[in-house]
Amino acid sequence: MDLDESLPRRRFMKAAVAVGGASALSACLGRAPRAGEPVPEGVSDPSELPQRQHAWNDRVRVDGDGNVHLPRHQAFLYLTLDGDGPPGDEARETVETALGTLDRAYERSNEGLIYSLAYSPSYFDRFGDPLPDSVDLPEPRRLSGFENPEFDTQDALLHLASDRGDVVLEVEEAMFGDRSEANGIAVDATLGDVLIVDDRRTGFIGAGMPAERQAQGGEPISGIPDSLPVPDRSPLFMGFEAGFSGNQATEDYVTIREGPFADGTTKHVANLRQRLGDWYDEQSFEERVMEMFSPGHAEQGLVEGVGDNLGADSGIDAFLDPETIEQSIEEHGRVGHAQKAARANRDADGNVRILRRHVESTDDDLASLHFPSLQRRLSTFEDVREAMNGDDLTDNPAIRQRVNNGILEYIFVQHRGNFLVPPRRHRALPTPRPA
Amino acid sequence: MNRRAVLRAGAGLVGAGVVGGCLQTESRSVRSPPLVENRPDAVYYPTHSEGMEMVGSTTAGEYRIAAMYSYPHRFWEVTGSDTNLKKLDGSTAMHFMTVVWDPETETVLPNASLTVELTKEGALADQTNMYAMLSQPMGLHYGNNVEGDGDGTYIASIEVGSVPEGRVRRSGDFQGRFTEPATAEIEFEYSESTRDDLPYQEYDDAGKRAALEPMDMMAPSATVPPEGELPGEVHGTATSGDAAFVVTVQDTVPAGIEGDGQYLSVFAHTPYNRMVLPSMTLSGALAGDSFALEPTLDPDLGYHYGAAVSEVADDDTLSITVDTPPQLTRHEGYEMAFLEMSHMEVQL
Repeated sequence: MDLDESLPRRRFMKAAVAVGGASALSACLGRAPRAGEPVPEGVSDPSELPQRQHAWNDRVRVDGDGNVHLPRHQAFLYLTLDGDGPPGDEARETVETALGTLDRAYERSNEGLIYSLAYSPSYFDRFGDPLPDSVDLPEPRRLSGFENPEFDTQDALLHLASDRGDVVLEVEEAMFGDRSEANGIAVDATLGDVLIVDDRRTGFIGAGMPAERQAQGGEPISGIPDSLPVPDRSPLFMGFEAGFSGNQATEDYVTIREGPFADGTTKHVANLRQRLGDWYDEQSFEERVMEMFSPGHAEQGLVEGVGDNLGADSGIDAFLDPETIEQSIEEHGRVGHAQKAARANRDADGNVRILRRHVESTDDDLASLHFPSLQRRLSTFEDVREAMNGDDLTDNPAIRQRVNNGILEYIFVQHRGNFLVPPRRHRALPTPRPA
Repeated sequence: MNRRAVLRAGAGLVGAGVVGGCLQTESRSVRSPPLVENRPDAVYYPTHSEGMEMVGSTTAGEYRIAAMYSYPHRFWEVTGSDTNLKKLDGSTAMHFMTVVWDPETETVLPNASLTVELTKEGALADQTNMYAMLSQPMGLHYGNNVEGDGDGTYIASIEVGSVPEGRVRRSGDFQGRFTEPATAEIEFEYSESTRDDLPYQEYDDAGKRAALEPMDMMAPSATVPPEGELPGEVHGTATSGDAAFVVTVQDTVPAGIEGDGQYLSVFAHTPYNRMVLPSMTLSGALAGDSFALEPTLDPDLGYHYGAAVSEVADDDTLSITVDTPPQLTRHEGYEMAFLEMSHMEVQL
């Protein structure tokens, strides 16, 4: 795929990240030379950085309502180790050196680079010892009776995020390609010396980006109807904001407390296709509000436009009790996505249990999304997904497994993977029982 | 592969010149004539019917699956008593359909979640939810209008989801069944010309209160047996919203259902062709007791609404209330019926 030089800057960067590779990087740098727009440098001593690889919130943009805005450009690199059995110390040192280079090269922020390296249950199976009980990390599995995803069982997941598309590309080239420098820092060891990129997926997030990407060359991408309905200001293809700070777990909350992986977290990443013809063309705005949030949100007119009037909280907690849900199903024949999921996403004290960091994607010219979720115990995500399935609500026949059941009619899970995001001290090819 | 185009035209067929059923390529407007005016709040002859092309059939897990396609159709989604017309916007290539059944008993399964992914030469053409729907020629099936990518060889990957217990209870040897999803792949040839050559028939008595005959579709159909062939003893019938309700009493309660008295089984079906009407919420009252008539799948009784009761006395009156009408997507001719459904009293 050739990059269209006439594209506006932000679309060009997004397209370059989607394409990837050395030529995409050189096209980016040719268009916006680094000298003109320097990338802030990292730290001289990486050990100064926090233990939590998932501590992103105080290093990215936050809006006036306190909502976290994730870096615009993201890449998900699914990595495998060569051969069977556990990796050796030499490989471990190579990985640590490579990551140290990134830490020195880029400021850990949305303007530089934010990343994490996480490991799958399959990776830990390479060792004789199991993970300690303080880590809840099952193999990925099917999480509804109507999905049949492929499981991502690669060893590791490198998640890269930056507002600078050229940074994401440069990191990839420095770690897995031929680039000998990263933001001016010499690259002595690379992740590619030890790990192979099995799959590369890209994402983006930000108001306006989905609308810009819903068509390519005048044609809607797969999943988007001819009416090109995605609102200009929406950060997501479905037309609403999400991830309000009041409806997200804190980083503290999702952090593992005990054991060798204390200060780590678990990460589930789903990949979902979207098919939005009926979402937009067959439904009114009110019906979309009912299905995304709750029927009560539509009745009370709580959502305007893409929902930025909601501020820091979708207000979903007011619509979670079983009687409210039953009543709104009787009156409207629908149940809301946020409403269903939130039922299992609160602890006894009302704290939110999972931290969602999903981004949109046009990989393979399909409207899709990558859905990472962080939680202290991986099975918490499974509980929330079960609540989102709404099987317990299908005793009212208006609510079918996919139809009138939140947004399930429009999303199709393709991949699921589970990972442990270790604390920084164990981020390089950890054993299951690190000292 | 099992492929053929079929049309058995029903009563009301006009124009001897179309015997054999094949007309030449039709424009979209011809394929979707205007709805008749003053449609009755009942089952009626649609404006037209079309043949279909068999895509194939296969087995996946415990399910037998047949797939077929036709020209894109307008249809109506149903939520509660509201209908929402899904119009044709020209973006779809075909109406893709499947029927799913238990191969041993040939019981058609109405409450699975179905999705289809269509690929052509490895590239995605479409992936979509398939609605449980009802049509006069096809009966109970799953379907949706899907996008294609021109003529060629397609693979339909059909995902049959589990059937939630809360949705339909299982009894007898169906206990514990239909809980595992399965995926079937069927390869088929698609061409616009084959599609456009599918039989097409308009009816000059469209709107009349009647129904087309079902087609032969190489799959079992979900129909309620004639009263004489129903298991148990028929104790009465009633109608509501143009649907028929046949009340039978079984002397024993099917295995897996609590209760040790008799078992009321209510069979709900369409008029004229006795197609099963699933996905209702029904409640009953008998001799001062109220109870849910629970949607149940049983290998001997088929799909029915049932309740264990202590004993049915000869002069008892069973009252049946339809709390939710059949939540099934409807093809033309069924979209006005089975929506407003009045209370029924059946003298047993």
